[in-house]
Amino acid sequence: MDRIVQTLVDAVSVGGLYALTALGIGLIFGVMRLINFAHGELIMIAGYAILLMFGLPIWLVAVGALGAALLLALAIERAAFRPIREADPATLLISSFAVSFFLQKTMILFVGSRPKGVDFLPGLAQQIQLAGIRLQLLQIVTIVVSAVLLVGLTWFLKTTRLGLEMRAAAENFRMAQVLGVRANRVIATAFAISSVLAAVVACLFVAQTGLVQPRMGLQLVVIAFVGTVIGGLGCLPGAALGGFLVGAATILLQTLLPPDLRVFREAFVFVAVALVLLFRPQGIIPARGLKERI
Amino acid sequence: MNSDGHTPARTAAAFSGPELLRRLWPLLCLVAIIVLIGIFAELAPTVVQRRITQGLIYLVAVVGLYVFVGNSGVLAFGNVAFMAIGAYVSALLTMSAGAKGIFLPDLPAWLQTAEWAPLAAAGAGGGIAAIVAFVVGYPLMRLSGISAGIATFAILVVTYVVIGNWSSVTGGQNSLMGLPIYVGPWTAVIGALVAVGIAFAYQESRSALLLRASREDEAAAAASGVNVVRHRLAAFVIGAFLSGVSGVLLAHFLGTVRVETFYLDLTFLIIAMLVIGGMGSLTGAVAGAVVIAALTELLRQAEVGVTIGGVSLAAPGGLGDVVLALLMLLIILFRPKGIAGGKEIPWPFRR
Amino acid sequence: MIVAETTTEPLLDLRNIEVRYGAITALRGVDLHVKTGEIVAIVGPNGAGKTSLLSAVAGLVKPVSGSISLSGKSLAPVGLEDIVRHGIALVPEGRNIFASLTVEENLQLGATSRRDSEVNTDIGRFFSTFPILGERRNQPAGLLSGGEQQMLAIARALLSRPKLLMLDEPSLGLAPKIVEQVYVELEKIRDDGITILVVEQNAARAFAVADRAYIMSHGQFALSGTPADLRDNAGFDAAYFGVSMDSESRDGA
Repeated sequence: MDRIVQTLVDAVSVGGLYALTALGIGLIFGVMRLINFAHGELIMIAGYAILLMFGLPIWLVAVGALGAALLLALAIERAAFRPIREADPATLLISSFAVSFFLQKTMILFVGSRPKGVDFLPGLAQQIQLAGIRLQLLQIVTIVVSAVLLVGLTWFLKTTRLGLEMRAAAENFRMAQVLGVRANRVIATAFAISSVLAAVVACLFVAQTGLVQPRMGLQLVVIAFVGTVIGGLGCLPGAALGGFLVGAATILLQTLLPPDLRVFREAFVFVAVALVLLFRPQGIIPARGLKERI
Repeated sequence: MNSDGHTPARTAAAFSGPELLRRLWPLLCLVAIIVLIGIFAELAPTVVQRRITQGLIYLVAVVGLYVFVGNSGVLAFGNVAFMAIGAYVSALLTMSAGAKGIFLPDLPAWLQTAEWAPLAAAGAGGGIAAIVAFVVGYPLMRLSGISAGIATFAILVVTYVVIGNWSSVTGGQNSLMGLPIYVGPWTAVIGALVAVGIAFAYQESRSALLLRASREDEAAAAASGVNVVRHRLAAFVIGAFLSGVSGVLLAHFLGTVRVETFYLDLTFLIIAMLVIGGMGSLTGAVAGAVVIAALTELLRQAEVGVTIGGVSLAAPGGLGDVVLALLMLLIILFRPKGIAGGKEIPWPFRR
Repeated sequence: MIVAETTTEPLLDLRNIEVRYGAITALRGVDLHVKTGEIVAIVGPNGAGKTSLLSAVAGLVKPVSGSISLSGKSLAPVGLEDIVRHGIALVPEGRNIFASLTVEENLQLGATSRRDSEVNTDIGRFFSTFPILGERRNQPAGLLSGGEQQMLAIARALLSRPKLLMLDEPSLGLAPKIVEQVYVELEKIRDDGITILVVEQNAARAFAVADRAYIMSHGQFALSGTPADLRDNAGFDAAYFGVSMDSESRDGA
């Protein structure tokens, strides 16, 4: 019983991290049809901000991580994506691939590719007793933070003016512009929100692994990216759900698969992706009225 | 449709000889360039010779990627997977029984004892890559745009995970060593010539012409009875064969194979070469490979550093990768059709 | 031009507009003017270039040559997002309402360009005129019927308080009764002082409300004048019906 609950909590907390990452990717895809590989580097830069500011008060470190991710997000939007906004999705994809590589390799150039240890939020490593079951505090915190962010983002999108403009732009960007919605404002907001998500993921992920390295974002993004596809590109609840499912599935596969097959779990996940693309090309929750132009 | 813009029908019969020459002109130029590179390698010091050989092997891979991406207009991230398949197949077929006994004690008996001739093993490497491409491509070639990009990315990841963990056959994360090293500059030149020849012959074919028509407007091509999926699959399989061959060459150039070689970094390098050269033409694919290989080598020299009067100056390690990524970004931003601009080398004389 | 009164400066003035999509020329040297308070109709068969014309004014495509000005001021430097801020609102073909957003959210978006505090009052007024939409204000707009979506799209455009309202095929795909309602609404809008430029295949319906009309074919205006003049003009059938005999023109005949 204990083990089942522990595994489930583990699956939910990992699922939460991937859901947040998938949301960051899904948000950008929604407004500009760009699959942002470089989202991983937003997580990475926030991780290094944590490393750099380690020892300062925790809130200050968190603000630093956020600031670093935000600056980088706005910079890449301005420098790399804005000039080719009208390009086809395939070109955008290649471009984000290049941005991601550029940032990763630049980081390796300056700090080397070795992981660096950082004991961030050690207080969360302790075990707690909850209804007689021993659980790690960090996992509970991860679940709670993910849930709060999901609710917060939903609130933002549903009730604020900017949120409304973002949803309109995601459905039909040209029509939104005809009505006077500012493309730059909407896209910058999407990047800003995705950087907040990235910074939070970085904090939780670094606390969990205790390591920072130039490629840390890659694994998260690749899996989350799969989640966005499975959930339905262009649909935020779908992205969150897909990210959650894929994240949780990797943990469950890890526990449930026989040991010889365990190492192949990522292969299973990606075969699943190909199958989803073939049989449900719109994802689990298809986006309504995906239109590129008037 | 295509950029080479020749109109054979309009030329008088008397000019049929020159007309053929004109038609083959882009290929002849590329052949000349590759042969010149081979001659240059012959004269260069050993280290540079090795770099040129490696560059030519990448050229084969870039041409393999071009055959699919350039003709179909569909993005693909999975060609390095076919390189891996080619490399491993050829490695397993050519390694000495003794070496296999050490690295792969659990191999099935027939494979354990197999010691094929290099050329046969190379054919098998490319062939099996092509067969795998046919099997996975058959369902996946229906996809286009982003979905196709993701699906081919899935091919890359699945291949990587399977090779990296199928320890009894591939050695898993460990390197396989002791492959016969038969690839030198001239072998690579021959490989590159074969690749360019196949790619050119393919792109002049009817199937490729129809495929390029579908690139302009998929719906219209399908409506006029073009079986887009079939032509796309043909390009995918040919591209996979060439990628497989380049994997074989790389394996027998290095003398060792390691799964880590065939993943994101190499994928990025090959895509970057094609994007920078221009994915719209064979000339672009070749130009991208040559220019980037040369540039990477220059940067590597810079990283090693020069010593002037007892003071050694060296660029920081890893600069090459940064420059490559930056260059690719700049090309996408400012010259989206790449160095070659999507064109083949034009006929230099007035008609 | 048959109507030669150009003493008052036109609200909208197009001179020699040429629009191309790649190798295809959609508009070849079009001149058009719309005066304040008019309803001007542009009719013509499919592919004549009507939508391209509205797109050029709305900033959706950049003409390769020619000039567009509003109240004498050139719109060339005005970006797509700012056209509405200069007082031009577009109801595009196929309406393009945001299907996943609610009726009310669609209307809120219509007021994106406004900074005043009367937006909610205006929305309330619209809901009292169209109680069916008021009842469904919190439902996704995609669930509305075609006619309701058309009314919503018009209301959304009006919420920017435009000087000029442009409509692309407002009757497309609607039952005759609904088309009637839409056109009655357009006349009311004109009476409120808003100038209207409407593109239609349904020539008869558009002629019934228009002060002036242009007949377009192959990217050019073949004829122009008051609807009455045009009906009497022998060239009309050749310019319009001669080119394409479609269901809508039969409906109208």
